[in-house]
Amino acid sequence: MEQTDQLILDTATRLFTDHCEAEVVNKAESGEVPDSLLKSIIETGLPLAWVSEEAGGVGGSLALGFGLIRLSAAFALPAPLAETMVANQLLAQAGLEVAVSWAAPIFDASALPRLHGNHVSGIVEEAPGVAEEAVLVVPVAEGDTIRIAVIDPEAVILEPRESLAGEPRTRVTLDTVVPRVLSEPVAGMTEAGLRQFFALVRASQIAGALEKINDLTVAYVQERQQFGRPLGKFQAIQHKVADIAGESALASAAVEQAVRTLSAQKAPFSGAAETGLAVATAKVVTSTASGLVARIAHQSHGAMGFSFEYPLQQYSRRILGWRDEYGTEFYWGEWIAQVVAGEIRDAGSTAWELVSR
Amino acid sequence: MSNIRFNFPAPVIDASVDRLRQEVRAFLREEVKRGSFEPVTDCWCAGIDTEFSRKLGQQGWIGVTWPKIYGGREWSALHRYVITEELLVAGAPVHAHWIADRQSGPLILATGSETMKRKVLPRIAAGECFIALGLSEPESGSDLASVRTRAQRVNGGWEINGTKLWSSGAQVCQYMTVLARTGERDAANRHGGLTQFLVPLDAPGVSVRGIQDMSGVEHFNESHFDRVFVTDEAVLGQEGEGWKQITSELALERSGPERFLSTFVALETAFQQCAQDLQGRQATVMGMMVARLRALRAMSFGVAALLSEGKSPDVEAALVKDLGTRFEQDIIEGLREFWPIRLKQPFGDELHHLLSDSLLRQPSFTLRGGTNEILKGIVARGLGLR
Repeated sequence: MEQTDQLILDTATRLFTDHCEAEVVNKAESGEVPDSLLKSIIETGLPLAWVSEEAGGVGGSLALGFGLIRLSAAFALPAPLAETMVANQLLAQAGLEVAVSWAAPIFDASALPRLHGNHVSGIVEEAPGVAEEAVLVVPVAEGDTIRIAVIDPEAVILEPRESLAGEPRTRVTLDTVVPRVLSEPVAGMTEAGLRQFFALVRASQIAGALEKINDLTVAYVQERQQFGRPLGKFQAIQHKVADIAGESALASAAVEQAVRTLSAQKAPFSGAAETGLAVATAKVVTSTASGLVARIAHQSHGAMGFSFEYPLQQYSRRILGWRDEYGTEFYWGEWIAQVVAGEIRDAGSTAWELVSR
Repeated sequence: MSNIRFNFPAPVIDASVDRLRQEVRAFLREEVKRGSFEPVTDCWCAGIDTEFSRKLGQQGWIGVTWPKIYGGREWSALHRYVITEELLVAGAPVHAHWIADRQSGPLILATGSETMKRKVLPRIAAGECFIALGLSEPESGSDLASVRTRAQRVNGGWEINGTKLWSSGAQVCQYMTVLARTGERDAANRHGGLTQFLVPLDAPGVSVRGIQDMSGVEHFNESHFDRVFVTDEAVLGQEGEGWKQITSELALERSGPERFLSTFVALETAFQQCAQDLQGRQATVMGMMVARLRALRAMSFGVAALLSEGKSPDVEAALVKDLGTRFEQDIIEGLREFWPIRLKQPFGDELHHLLSDSLLRQPSFTLRGGTNEILKGIVARGLGLR
C-alpha cells in the first residue's frame, strides 16, 4: 500500500472515530440521521476514492478503496459510503460524470434491467444504499453489452426494505424509464464481473467487521469478571476467542489475495476466471466465518452482547446479512467446483492447478 | 488491550519460482508413471523411502536455501516452498529427508560448529543423511519444558541418559536432535537449563525401537539413550539456550504447506473421479474446500513472506497450523458424504484407499508439532488474554 493510500486511510479512521461512535450507529438505525458523519464523509471526498484525479476524484488504487470499505465496516458505518464508491466507480468506468453526493448502485446480482431503444425496464429486488437524495446508477443489459444508466429516483418506484442490520435496501421497479444519462456500452464490463466486484465489497466489509468483533470480544472477556476472575482467564473462553482470531485472520488473507488478483486485471468488472476464483475464495471464507464468529462472539458476551445497547449486535447482524448477499458461501463454493470440474473435463487439468494458479 | 491486526503480505514470485514448480511437477509425473511410488496421504510423515529422498537430493531439491559451501543452492525460501508443495500434492514419499530439510538443517546452520556444518549439511542436501526430532518423552508431550533426558558434563564432552518418544522416521535416520536438561530445574525459569545436541544414532548406548501407529504404519520410534557419550562438538548453539532455539524453529515448522495439504491428494483424486458430472451439493461441498484451501495457502504464503522479512510471526504460524490441520481432517469428513468409508482395503480403488488411510492417520494431524490446544494458547497470549 502506498504512502498516500495510508494517509487517506488514517484520515478516514480519524473521521469515523470522531463521528461514528457506537451510539451514533444505534441512533441512526432508530431514525436519527447522523448529519455530521454524512456531511464530513462528503466533504473529505471519500466517496470519490476510486475516481481518477482528472475526473475530480482521489485517484486511489483498488486496494485503497477496498481497504476503505473494510475500515468503514469496522465502524458499522451507518452511511452508504461503500455503495457510493461503487456507484462512482461504475460511472467512471462508463466515462460518465461522477456523483458529487450520494449514489446507489442498483444491482443485486439478479438479472439486469434491460434496455429497449431508449428506455429501461426491470425489477431489482434488493438494491443497496438507496437514500432519498441519491442518484441511481443502474447497470443495464442490451444484448451482450452492459451500459450504465443514471436515473432519477422520481422516475422509478422505490419500495424500502431493510437488511438484517437495518441498512437500507430498496426494491426498485423500472417501467419503461428513460434514463437521465445513458453511457455507451462499457468495454470490459460483464454481469459476472459486476457480481464478483460486489461480492468482494461484501467480503471486505465482513473482514472489517470480523476484526472489530475480535477486538470487542477480547476487550469484553478481559473486563467482565465472573467467579472472581476475568472471563478471559478461563481456558474455555481463551480457545473460543482464538477461534475468532483464526477465522478473522483467514478471512483477511482471503480478501487480500482477492484484492491483489483484481488489482492485476485491466478492467475491474471484466469477470475474468482468475478473478472469479480469488473473489469466490474470499466470499466463501468470509461468509463461512460470519456464522462461526457471530455465534462464538455472542456466546462469549453472554446476555450483554444480545442487548441493543451494546455494540456487538451492530456487527453481528451486519455479517449475518452480508454473508448471504451477492452469493452465499454455498453459491460460490459450487461456482468454484464447476470451474475446477470444467477445467478437468476440457483441459485435462487438476484441482491443484487452480489452487496454485 | 493489544489489537492484533493480521497481515499476510504476498511474496514476490519471480519466473524462476514458477519454472521450478513446473520442473518438480514434471519430474513427479514421470516418477509416478514409472511406478517409482504410489501417491499416499500424509506422505510427509507416513511415506518413508530413502531411495526416493536420494533421487530428490540428486535433483538438488533438498536444502536449497543453504549456502553453496554446505551443499545448498542459495535459493529463496519461496523456492523451497514450491518444492515442498508439489511433493505434498503428489503424495510423494518424502518423510525420510523432510525433517532435516525443514528444520534440523536450518538449526545446524544457525547453531552448529563449522565442522558439523561441513560434515552433515552436504550429506543432507544429497539425500543421504536424515535427522529425527528428539523432543517428546514418555512423560513430556505438550509440556516440553518438563523433559527428563539429562546431559551431564564428562571428560571431553557430555553423557546423555533418557528416553525420547514419537520420533518419526528415526529408524532410517543417522542423527537425532536431542533436547536434554543440562541445568537444574528452576521453577522461576522453567525454560532455562535446556540444551539441544546432535546425537549420532549409531553411538554406543543408543537403541531405537519402532512403534506402529493405529493406521498400521511403523514410523514412530522410541529411542533410549543409555550413557551415550557425545563430544562438545555435538552441542547445538549455546548451553541452556535449547528452548529459545526450539521456539524459533516452530514458526517455520508450523506454517508450512504440510499443515494443510496432508490429505489434498484425496481431494484431487475425488475431483478427477467426479468431474464429468459434478453437481448440486457435492459441488458445493467440494468447491468450499477449494476455497478454504486457497485462503489457507494465502495465509501460509503470508507467514513465509513475514519470515523472510525477518519478522517472528509466531501467532500467525500457530493460526495456520490450527486452521490448516483441522481443514485436512475436514476434507475427509466432507468427502465421505459422497464416498462412504467402510472397508480398510482398497480393492483397487485408489480414492477409497486414500480416504480410509487418511481417516486412520488424521488424529495425529492436530497433535504433532504442538497440539491445537497449545496453539490456541499461543494465540490467546498474542491477544493479551494470558
